[in-house]
Amino acid sequence: MAEVLVIGGGIAGIQASLDLADMGAKVYMVERRPSIGGVMAQLDKTFPTNDCSI
Amino acid sequence: MLDAGRHPNIEILAYSEVEDVKGEAGDFKVTVRKKARFVKEEVCNACGDCAAKCPRKVPDEFDMRLRDRRAIYLYFTQGIPAVMTIDKSNCTYFEKGKCRLCEKICQKGAIDFEQKDETVELSVGSIVVATGLDMFDPSPLTHYGYGRIKNVITGLEYERLINATGPTGGHLYRPSDKKLAKNVAYIQCVASRDLNYCKYCSSVCCMYAIKDAMLAREHDPEAVSHIFYTDFRNVGKWFQDYEIKGRELYGIDYVRARVAEIEEDKDGNPVLWYEDTRERKVKKLTVDMVVLAVAAIPAKGSEKLAQILGINLDEYNFVSVGEEDPTRTSRPGIFSCGFCNGPCDIPESVSQASAAAMRAAEFVLPEAKVAVNE
Amino acid sequence: MSDVLAKSAGKSGEQLREGAGAKGLVPLRQGGAPLQAVSAEKVSPAPGEDIRIGVFVCKCGTNIAGFLNTNAVMEYARTLPNVVFARENLFSCSEAGVTDIRNGIKENNLNRVVVAACTPRTHEPVFRAACEEAGLNKYLFEFVNIREQCSWVHKGNQEIATEKAKDLVRMGVARATRLEPKEDITADVRQVALVIGGGISGLTCALSLAKRGFLVKLVEREKELGGLLRNINRLFPSDVPASSVIAEKIDQARKDARIEILTSTEVTDIRGYIGKYSVTVSSNGKEPAAVVGIEPEATSAGGSGAHEGAPATKTFVCGVIIVATGAEELVPEGYFGYDGKKIITQMQLEGMLKQGKPEGKRFVMILCAGARIRERIYCSRICCMNSIKNAILIKESMPDASVHILYRDLQCYGVKNEELYLKAKHLGVKFVNYTLENLPAVEPGKVTIRNSVTGKEMILDADFVVLAPPLVPRPGVENVSRMLKVPLDENKFFLEAHVKLRPVDFATDGIFVCGTAHWPASSSESLFQALGAAARASIPLSRGYVKVEPIVSELVDEEACRGCGMCAAACPYGAIEIVETDKGAKARMISVACKGCGVCAATCYKSAIGMSHYTDEQLEAQVKAYLKGN
Repeated sequence: MAEVLVIGGGIAGIQASLDLADMGAKVYMVERRPSIGGVMAQLDKTFPTNDCSI
Repeated sequence: MLDAGRHPNIEILAYSEVEDVKGEAGDFKVTVRKKARFVKEEVCNACGDCAAKCPRKVPDEFDMRLRDRRAIYLYFTQGIPAVMTIDKSNCTYFEKGKCRLCEKICQKGAIDFEQKDETVELSVGSIVVATGLDMFDPSPLTHYGYGRIKNVITGLEYERLINATGPTGGHLYRPSDKKLAKNVAYIQCVASRDLNYCKYCSSVCCMYAIKDAMLAREHDPEAVSHIFYTDFRNVGKWFQDYEIKGRELYGIDYVRARVAEIEEDKDGNPVLWYEDTRERKVKKLTVDMVVLAVAAIPAKGSEKLAQILGINLDEYNFVSVGEEDPTRTSRPGIFSCGFCNGPCDIPESVSQASAAAMRAAEFVLPEAKVAVNE
Repeated sequence: MSDVLAKSAGKSGEQLREGAGAKGLVPLRQGGAPLQAVSAEKVSPAPGEDIRIGVFVCKCGTNIAGFLNTNAVMEYARTLPNVVFARENLFSCSEAGVTDIRNGIKENNLNRVVVAACTPRTHEPVFRAACEEAGLNKYLFEFVNIREQCSWVHKGNQEIATEKAKDLVRMGVARATRLEPKEDITADVRQVALVIGGGISGLTCALSLAKRGFLVKLVEREKELGGLLRNINRLFPSDVPASSVIAEKIDQARKDARIEILTSTEVTDIRGYIGKYSVTVSSNGKEPAAVVGIEPEATSAGGSGAHEGAPATKTFVCGVIIVATGAEELVPEGYFGYDGKKIITQMQLEGMLKQGKPEGKRFVMILCAGARIRERIYCSRICCMNSIKNAILIKESMPDASVHILYRDLQCYGVKNEELYLKAKHLGVKFVNYTLENLPAVEPGKVTIRNSVTGKEMILDADFVVLAPPLVPRPGVENVSRMLKVPLDENKFFLEAHVKLRPVDFATDGIFVCGTAHWPASSSESLFQALGAAARASIPLSRGYVKVEPIVSELVDEEACRGCGMCAAACPYGAIEIVETDKGAKARMISVACKGCGVCAATCYKSAIGMSHYTDEQLEAQVKAYLKGN
């Protein structure tokens, strides 16, 4: 199966992985921290809609 | 995040790093080191019994060191994978050969001190870099007193304080005396737009300062916020409305000024000296707490990763991308998106990520065979 | 896939009936992604079996728990009829929360699940998937909103908020007892994309999709391709000529056999639904719509080759649609004395710079001309940088020229923009700050401005006063919005599904947006969005099918239906047709096009139409449950 490496498990890495996976590629998402989520996971709410970041 | 964890086509290698990349577009050979957690991923259910008993306290990186975690820890509650990790460099067993309490307590037998780092070889057609950002440490800007004045904190530290899952359960207790911070000053462009540090604009700070001030008011109807700005960057969709809402509904005081210096009074309150450029007056303001919107910088380790990948970075270590093909790095088959390309907000990161995915897909996915006459 | 379609063919190929769900692995067209095996052996209560409901109350951090007593709501839920299990979670949407739901279903043999949390718009798919993974049909799940509809709007009164949350949960539980298992409706996707708009965004999107092998119909209403870039001199921050960038894209598109370009052509009608849109386009009547693609003798730069005998209207079928209709510079009539001659716009300056040096040495540029004001609140994002770019060009070609930029807030976000700003300063461009309260006064040859930093009045001589007005949506966007049934925001820019997480999708599946039609954007930002939209569009295209929720209209009483056609006339989505049957004229639902709005059911005076998954019985149960407690 077609394979792609995505380096980084923050919002950009996750979005790229999801799109590639939905297109039919196999994606390896490498994240150096113990879990994915990136900086966005540390945020409470996000502008401009003030909904939660998770 | 949950979607990524559950998608059958996505394999997450967390707690891992890329060590080597060989080959070329369409056929890269990548070596990834999966660091040992000393916990069996497939067994651990993150119940937390181990962490409750672990005797070693370590400043919690996720919570910006505002509280402690244990040597065995869950990076954050909603994280994926939801698996504990033993921080080898702060573990009593690895240091002194004693303890192993976590192993005794774990009812599922998930602890494995013999676990080794694992090297994984991947064959991929293309690579997408999305390494994100870190925050500049404002300690060198001694006139702001970060590190010296307890109640001067950074934007990300504030995020953790105001967050329900953070060290204070969402209450804005200031670091020095745990008093509720009602009067808060937000200082923009700290080390950003600064010829001595980062000349560039970090792009997201104006907006998140407004957000932070709004959250403060939501948590405490008596909260008062002052945002000290240079140019207000509200370029995105509905951003200008947000600024107006901040002023009209949340009572934010916007002050066009670069704060010159922060002192501390005897009660630990930060005292700001600044020139209000609209009134052309030098003023002094005492607040409960100061939040510094520090420059956002490329993630630590970007230089090393760039060398491994063989891609160029700019003078700030952001990834150099093509002008007309803005996800393309200097090496064919490797694409880049999000903050590692340069400061950008969430909508931009998301559309850049989809763009990079499209480009990356060209190298790996077969063309659809659709007849032209269809 | 084929047996799914065969099963659903029924009386007509158009109507795909619910219940023809996927069995086992769903095979896809080449390039599509295989999904997890979906078992048809779902857990559903057999007739007469006890209803066993599990209620999960989410604290959502402090978003809910900070404003109402979630523990009390959970305890209350336990007392409700048919509720056998209740639980509180910090974040139901987290892996722990979802695992809780899965485990709760399995360990307690739940056959209905109620989650009381945020809005379905965020995490309904997550909770439904959790039910499926535990073997429960995902439509036996009820989402109660106790955040947007409760905690967030009753922040001042915890007691009232808690009581209201209990009411809402009681209503949700009542509805849950009447939920029935359903299956998604599947529709085939034609592997053809329609791109509306032939500027840089439309062209980039079309080229990207064609590269993946899909066919593209690119429709541009003007005679020439290229959009805004035709009028621009050089781009920022790259400093390359806009004409060479756009010429290259046009050339590539013309040579690509997969892209059919239709210039001087507008979309006049769109029917159908995702996967199978029937699109009618027509030319402006003066020139026939030209088909330019693989013919090597197409033609002069920018012009479309006329193809003799080409029809004035044309209809074709496509699977997805991308809106790339662009924007245009506001003509700043009434702002700062604009006259188009000596008080001009940045776009006019672009034209002058393209032709050589403008005749003048003293330039005063005024930013926010018609933007960031009460009548037009938004910031148009690119005007500051565009002006700085032109200021640099002027100073580089005429070092002794004087250039003043009068601004309110300089939008030089990011790395390269800030660099250009510094470069402009080094070259001697003068930046003067003004406020909304003290606007510059413009007369021929002279601008008077109160410098907000010094407080002093400055009088600036000007050969040209160059205004930077905002980008505004092009005329006709309302038509496109109406035809596609996609929304516009208050500024008439297209409104995406989610400002942050789905910036190039519309809420309607299968339709996407990119470029300045979405919001003012620079050329490189438009490129990202165009590629991003192409990526999103390529997902249903490559899969070859889409799944639609079975929340659709149904003819619940065929006997009562008189075939009067009022429902079809009322339907905003063209999802109902009246057909002749052996029982006379009857309404027939095109489920895949149905958005479940309910207007048809409300219109039918014979009560012959009902809404699947929002039946009268379910709604009545909710109302009765509410009244019972009050």
